[in-house]
Amino acid sequence: MRPQQLSSSNWFGKASAGVIAGYLLTIAICGIFSRFGPLEVGSFSAQAQITMWLMAPVWALILSFCFLFQNGWRAWAWLGGANMVLWGILLIGRFVIG
Amino acid sequence: MKIRSDIVRMYRDIHSWVGIVCGLALFIAFYAGAITMFEAPLNRWASEPRVFTTHTPLENTPELVEKVLAEYPQAANRYEITLDAGLQDRPARVMWSSGRRGGGTTYYAELAEDGSLQVHTEGPSAVGQLVDDIHRQVGILLDHDIAMPIVGIVSLLYFIALVSGVIVLLPTLVKDLFILRIGKNLKRMWLDFHNALGLFSLPFHIIMALTAVVFALHDQFYVSQRALLEKNGRPEVHEESHEHRGALAPQQIVARLQEQSPEFTPLFMQFHYEEDHGLELLVSGTNPRHGARAPHYGMVAVDPYSGEKTMTGYMPGEQDGWYATLTSFFSLHFGNFGGNPVRWGYFLLGLAGAVLFYTGNLLWIESHRKKRRKGYEYLEVSQTRASKVLGALTVGISLGCIAGISATIAAAKVLPLWTEAVAAWHTGIYYAVFFLATAWAFYRGAARSAVDLSYVSAAATLLIPLVSALSAIIPGVGWNHGGSTYLIDAVALVGAGTLVVLARKTLARIHSAPYYSIWYVGADPVAPVQAVPQPVAGDATGV
Repeated sequence: MRPQQLSSSNWFGKASAGVIAGYLLTIAICGIFSRFGPLEVGSFSAQAQITMWLMAPVWALILSFCFLFQNGWRAWAWLGGANMVLWGILLIGRFVIG
Repeated sequence: MKIRSDIVRMYRDIHSWVGIVCGLALFIAFYAGAITMFEAPLNRWASEPRVFTTHTPLENTPELVEKVLAEYPQAANRYEITLDAGLQDRPARVMWSSGRRGGGTTYYAELAEDGSLQVHTEGPSAVGQLVDDIHRQVGILLDHDIAMPIVGIVSLLYFIALVSGVIVLLPTLVKDLFILRIGKNLKRMWLDFHNALGLFSLPFHIIMALTAVVFALHDQFYVSQRALLEKNGRPEVHEESHEHRGALAPQQIVARLQEQSPEFTPLFMQFHYEEDHGLELLVSGTNPRHGARAPHYGMVAVDPYSGEKTMTGYMPGEQDGWYATLTSFFSLHFGNFGGNPVRWGYFLLGLAGAVLFYTGNLLWIESHRKKRRKGYEYLEVSQTRASKVLGALTVGISLGCIAGISATIAAAKVLPLWTEAVAAWHTGIYYAVFFLATAWAFYRGAARSAVDLSYVSAAATLLIPLVSALSAIIPGVGWNHGGSTYLIDAVALVGAGTLVVLARKTLARIHSAPYYSIWYVGADPVAPVQAVPQPVAGDATGV
């Protein structure tokens, strides 16, 4: 199957997915790092500050590469799906494993 | 490297558009940011000699503090003691502000020879702070809370511009990188120049983009993380109150710190009193071998009763790995590691960044025109309205920023002669020059105004050493501190010279440019279009 040609003309759907779904996904990724790594969230400790700093590179990379999706719907589907998986892991971690 | 051509094409479009949207804001951020690398000597150059003739000796500071607190009880909540008498932005031994957290009027106090209290409100020049504000808010004349999210968006677009620019460049990287095709095709030369400049300073730009995103949006990031992620942070622990004991004198605290951390040079102390946990003390200072969290210093929390360090997370040289990692993000943005060589490097990289955005915009104008001509070579050869507007904006905003900053710096030594409101005048002068320049660029068009405004910028920059020279000749006008402050005059002279060269080059260009170029000035740019269809081969000239 030959992939469809990418173009910048349908940028709005892809960019909006990168901004909104990408932002939530970024927070989830930071949450995974703080949940399963040595980082933490909320207080003003060095680890919590680094968790906050992690937002910038992760979100900026999502925004830079969200244009590689075929169109806005796909971008929303993929980034939304990734959100569900990561937030699911976080919620399971919080309510099931404890 | 091979990348699918549609992806390259898509990212070329993205690069153009995010570049256009944020390029001019970034020009201001980089030009003003380059100057903030030398904020300390600049402030010294621009500040009146101290109003206090003598500095209270450190050992008499407790007496001074006692007298201040007796007369100004509101200072008890938060006051600062300067340790290094040579600090230009702290012209007195004791300082405090009428507003909370450093807002309102700042007071400066010293003891006179006879032991009486002397208080003044004249502080150091506001011009360094203005340049810093222009840098941080990319010149947006709005409230900090409104400007910062805009800066955050600009920074994110800037990062996208970096990634897309690299993707566009990758397929021809090996072929293009070490080539600067100087010749008839000016656009090709500028494109090569733009690419080389962007690629070689890429690490610097990535750092700036990502740190700027955090500086602008950290409040939003913290709020979102706290709201959406579980709180597993520990509550802040504060030492209980020691009110029954007497605090050590500043001299004793300095001596205790010297014992504990001999490489740390304390610069000033901030005393802070809170009902819940009594007197708290932060000592700010430097350790030249380590980067710092703030642009010019790091800090350590000290127990004011024992002189023991209580929190060294922000103390240069005594941080744990986590805090050191965190500090590295800040010091990579501020360039406050490695001393003057790094500062000069950041200064030049900042100026190079400004050039990158200027050339980027002008490249867009030329390729925008070319793209529209494709297939209609005999029809559409004049500039579109969008190109004209963008050309005027590029010239007006960039040169207006340069001229405005130079003019407001030059005014520092003469403003105190006739006004008390020096800070407001500095802001007024910058924005007046900036907006006038932008208006002029629209009135005269990009080509003509580029020449005019380059000369204006050169003249404004030349005013800086001129005022210094006048101060040396005419008694009562201005001042000269000598030493490293002469560097400000020297750099301004070089800058003015560069701008004159730029103006002369532009002048030559606007008379030799082909009539469809943005740099063309002629009787009527439309007339030749109908007379002679321009052959495609004649299209080799550009920006």
